[in-house]
Amino acid sequence: MKSITRIAASLALSAAALQAHAADGDAAKGKDLAYTCTGCHGVTGYKNAYPQYNVPKIGGQNQAYLVAALTAYRAGERSHPTMVAQAQGYTEQDILDIAAYLSSVNEGAAK
Amino acid sequence: MSLNRKLITAFALLACTGALSAAPHGDVEAGKTKSATCQACHGADGNTTIDGSYPKLAGQYATYLSKALHDYKSGERKNPIMAGFAATLSEQDIADLAAYFASQSGDIKDLSHLK
Repeated sequence: MKSITRIAASLALSAAALQAHAADGDAAKGKDLAYTCTGCHGVTGYKNAYPQYNVPKIGGQNQAYLVAALTAYRAGERSHPTMVAQAQGYTEQDILDIAAYLSSVNEGAAK
Repeated sequence: MSLNRKLITAFALLACTGALSAAPHGDVEAGKTKSATCQACHGADGNTTIDGSYPKLAGQYATYLSKALHDYKSGERKNPIMAGFAATLSEQDIADLAAYFASQSGDIKDLSHLK
């Protein structure tokens, strides 16, 4: 009985660990997915055409904010055509992975 | 070109210039004064947010910050907290705040160093 309790407890712990990992996102997977982002966000001073404004800097941005932004584009709550199209191609896990990667990329970059 | 033509051309050019400069010029110092409320969540340095779901603003492009504030104000971008603040901002306030946060330096970067 004792061992069953122990097994159950360890299973619960690993489930929690798995969930924690999912919530964190996998930056290595995010790196592959984020290659597309550099097409616009990787061009210094690049401007959105209509209306005209600079494409935002997203490297080193807060992870949770990036998740919120991509999730809002995916749901159509934020209405930029290119970003909606991109975000709709991502799963929830993809978004977590991309955010984990992008929030980490400023480390070591020239300020 | 007749004098009339010249005058018309001159006025047309003036009208264009006026349209281009319709957005007020942002004043960093004025923006700093107006940013007290923003600092409560986005940090005094614009880079140390009190919650990870709030964006870092320090060093962001002024044009993007202006676009975001306009979208919150118009309701195009929906966020109950930001809608409340943006509703009170004039065009000059938005220009000043955008200029101020853009002038700060922080963590955020474009992705050009990854290419």
